[in-house]
Amino acid sequence: MIPETKLNILQELINTSSKEEIIWINGYLNGLVSGHGTPATAKPSQPVKKISILYGTETGNSKKLALQFTTVAKQHALNARCTAVDQYRHEDLVKEGYLFIVISTQGEGEPPEAAKKFYDFLHTTEARLENLKYSILALGDSSYPLFCKTGEDVDAQLQRLGATRVLPVQKCDVDYEQPAEDWFKSVINLLGAGQHALQPVAAVPALSNDVAKKHTKKNIEGVITRSVNLNDKDSTRRTWHIEIRADEDLDYEAGDSIAIVPTNRPEVVERIIELGKADPEEQVNLAKSAGTIRELLAGKLNICYLLGSAVKKYAVLSGHEIPEIRMDLVDLLRIYPLKDGTPFAEVLNILHPIAPRLYSVSSSPKMEPREVHITVSLNGFLKQDEQHYGLCSSFLGDLPVDTVVIFYVHRNRSFKLPAPDKDIIMVGPGTGIAPFRGFLQERDVEAAPGRNWLFFGERNFTSDFFYQTEIQQYHETGVLHKVNVAFSRDTDKKIYVQHKMKEHGKDLYNWLVKGAVFYVAGSKVPMSQEVEEALLGIIEEHGGKSERGAKEFLEQMKKEGRYQKDVY
Amino acid sequence: MADKQYTVVERIKLASDGLRGSLAASLKDELTGAIREDDQALIKFHGMYQQDDRDRREERSGKKLEWLYSFMIRLRLPGGFMTGEQWLGMHHIAGEHATEVIKITTRQTIQLHGILKSHIKPTLHSFDTLKLDSIAACGDVNRNVTCSSHPMESPIHQQVFEYADKISQMALPKTRSYYEIWLDKEPLLNKEEEIDPLYQNRYLPRKFKISIAIPPNNDVDVFSNDVALIAIIENNELKGFNIAAGGGLGTTHGSATTYPRLATVLGFCDTEEKVLKAVYEIITIQRDHGDRTDRKQARLKYTIDRLGVESFKKELELRCGFALEAPRPYAFSERIDHFGWNLGAGGKWHYTAFVETGRVTDDKRASFKTAFYEIAATGKTNFRFTANQNVIVSDVNEADRSLIHEILERYGVVGVTEQSSEMRKNAIACVAFNTCPLALAEAQRYLPSLVTKIEPILAKHGVLGDAISIRMTGCPNGCGRPTLAEIGLIGTGYGKYNMHLGGDRNGLRLNRKYKENLEEPEILAELDGLVGSYSREQETGESFGDFIIRKNIV
Repeated sequence: MIPETKLNILQELINTSSKEEIIWINGYLNGLVSGHGTPATAKPSQPVKKISILYGTETGNSKKLALQFTTVAKQHALNARCTAVDQYRHEDLVKEGYLFIVISTQGEGEPPEAAKKFYDFLHTTEARLENLKYSILALGDSSYPLFCKTGEDVDAQLQRLGATRVLPVQKCDVDYEQPAEDWFKSVINLLGAGQHALQPVAAVPALSNDVAKKHTKKNIEGVITRSVNLNDKDSTRRTWHIEIRADEDLDYEAGDSIAIVPTNRPEVVERIIELGKADPEEQVNLAKSAGTIRELLAGKLNICYLLGSAVKKYAVLSGHEIPEIRMDLVDLLRIYPLKDGTPFAEVLNILHPIAPRLYSVSSSPKMEPREVHITVSLNGFLKQDEQHYGLCSSFLGDLPVDTVVIFYVHRNRSFKLPAPDKDIIMVGPGTGIAPFRGFLQERDVEAAPGRNWLFFGERNFTSDFFYQTEIQQYHETGVLHKVNVAFSRDTDKKIYVQHKMKEHGKDLYNWLVKGAVFYVAGSKVPMSQEVEEALLGIIEEHGGKSERGAKEFLEQMKKEGRYQKDVY
Repeated sequence: MADKQYTVVERIKLASDGLRGSLAASLKDELTGAIREDDQALIKFHGMYQQDDRDRREERSGKKLEWLYSFMIRLRLPGGFMTGEQWLGMHHIAGEHATEVIKITTRQTIQLHGILKSHIKPTLHSFDTLKLDSIAACGDVNRNVTCSSHPMESPIHQQVFEYADKISQMALPKTRSYYEIWLDKEPLLNKEEEIDPLYQNRYLPRKFKISIAIPPNNDVDVFSNDVALIAIIENNELKGFNIAAGGGLGTTHGSATTYPRLATVLGFCDTEEKVLKAVYEIITIQRDHGDRTDRKQARLKYTIDRLGVESFKKELELRCGFALEAPRPYAFSERIDHFGWNLGAGGKWHYTAFVETGRVTDDKRASFKTAFYEIAATGKTNFRFTANQNVIVSDVNEADRSLIHEILERYGVVGVTEQSSEMRKNAIACVAFNTCPLALAEAQRYLPSLVTKIEPILAKHGVLGDAISIRMTGCPNGCGRPTLAEIGLIGTGYGKYNMHLGGDRNGLRLNRKYKENLEEPEILAELDGLVGSYSREQETGESFGDFIIRKNIV
């Protein structure tokens, strides 16, 4: 870190510079550090030192220590990421630079139940880890004969795989606090010893080509790497968290959406081919796409809830009288069959391309530049479906891992994080939490000094608390300063986020007065309206204003860009 | 022990301000269904454990959800007695706040599982309405006081039974924190009333269990307790109690400094005053001399062995201000529940129903929960719980017997009670998975099906009618008293058990480890061989456990 006087100068410079200027300054400094001393067009230097902290816990002690260590690491300007070993992706191990594992030993020298898969993976993998530097903090109980055996095993195995041990394994007995703290200090000193190799606080690798880049609608190919239903099994909701990985750095920001072209359901496609007596392998060239009939029906053309104009054209083609309503193609073919011998390609000519669907992004590229995450509600999907898509397209949550998806970034310019030193209040019940997860990821990686307050709500605490463990971790490591949650079906009183806002109205108003930016995301009606009502009520009550005065206050916030909405 | 520090739990107790800790704040934390770590130790004193559904851990982690936390709440119920009205209330509470199953424990009380943090207060409020509480049901205090369940034909049972409540009251913590935190009562203005001469501010070094037995039935396994009172009855009069101390069954796998121990008879006291005083002072000795630096060495049994029995007895007599008389003779000839109808004092009838592993619920074998509810609703009965986890529908007038019997029969309770084998009816298993965090192996979810596989072996060797005692626990803590069974199965890892043999049938002799880490096929093979030998070579009236000892098999 730098002395306070210098830090003040630096912050002054940052506060008075535009985004483009800051990018230039960053590139300039990068150049200095890497020895070239040339301005903005210099290539970005090596990225901020990331350290990964993993924990394998049985009773929670290893987790507690891992989180403490993560907090300490962040305080020392390290980009620390903490994950449970059972949630860690094994294929990431070869990419790690610095890895610190906190792990306990159970019973007869065994790893904790949740750590067994990781432990077995380490002992069977053929990966070489020559780039990895690591150290282990091992917990145990000396009244058992095989004291800290799991920690020792992991240490020895990493060594065997070619990794470099930067500190000997630290074994801890039941009184683990002091030896753990000593190990934290040693690790920090070790990493800090290469201080010049660390970027200063809040610096991120500049995509220095950014300045001139146009945000064009570019189709990107990605593959689904993870798809999990966030709701527990007894929930009335089904909400998917889906991770998509591309082969290139992605150009999006937290708060944006992505548009994915959905595929049509195979069984519907087959029925159409059958009814239309089509040859599925026949090659057809259309105005905007080409492929076999099956390919076009499956992935390129809209076969659901056809527009009136398309239905009219079909009526002409098939020689039937068809009422002026929108219909699914499969129903048209069934109820108003084609004349014998009609080439199916002529039907395809009538159809429009599949319209992409928009999904709220729930990640920030600052965390993983090549990944984008989305949070998708099945219930919302079905509602949309009936209105616009019939029941023809596949639900994204049903697609297995490794499915290829084509998407493009859909910018949302009016829903963005402010400067890192600004406080933010995020009201995001249900899938509204998506953009805020991205916000928090970005603020975490950048160690933004601004305070963050999240309001989340759903139906039941035990089954619908989206991203609960991440939110808990953010709260424990200080990224989230305040979190309030409302679960409407847990009690007789239906408690929603607006009730929580009112409960904390005084603090909320204080944050606003200090310049906080207020965000609401999620359902438009009635949620966002009720939230706004509550907000006005809070401004009235705690600001000592009239109803009109409160409305003016809110208008002023809007003018300053401090009231942003992403509602649907 | 100048170089050893007090354990973390000691520190937590001392800093807790009468067991309050930060429980109030923990309850308010809306981000988690758990409570803070220090509070997890303190909440035990209020009769609760924090648990989680271990079967769901992995899946929930994948969903970015925390473990599914819930709480087990255990009633304080001296002697295991409950009115019909209280049972009705418990039935509703179980349905509204817990997993619906009413679990009868091995120490004659009820525990409810699966209670979410936000439901704890409503549950305890409901208990309070029924004049029930969970104070000191867990934690480093005196736990539930047990007493032989089976009302005898004489009023002596009632006389002895009343000691359970007296001792429970005498050994209750004085702190008002339970009432403040859970029942929203105002803190006392006069803090002096909270001063606790018995527990002070540090409570005991470990759990403390007191039990009362009425010979000849040792149904409570009295010698497994820290304090064991044996009622001495001569000429149909209660003369007093023999007092034994230092029982405790918990061990740690692979640790030679931990061992199960039976209580040592110290002497006899005749008056109620002396008996209560002696019990009280045993507690104070443990409070002052028990090991607070190592919880694995903290039970009274280790304290007594460290001090030496004679030395301990001298200290006890010193604190009491009187000497203990020489122990009076007594004899235990059984340790079972008397199933079916039995006549008690004052012409009252009692029906002991067999409830496998103490789980009162409705399933395909019988509808225990509905049956007991309907019976309770008649207003004509009380309920008593046995240390074998069974339910006694008690204090039924002769005129009401057929009504009650009809209900029991209609819901299949009579059928299960009459048709289950002797081994099954006397088997005990602790809870273990999916809620106990200490479990290494299954117990309550597995023993019934294992017994189903053992029954053919017994039948093959012609001993199916033999009430061989078998007990299974998921870990060596011993909550299911496996070290006092003829066959003890103690979990060491998933699907693996140490087999212990050679306990006697009446709870007077500990068993010994026979083989380690056996899986089911090995368990069955071993029993096949051993039971075979037993059936061929047993002496008349010799129990399986005695046979094992005589043949030096362990």
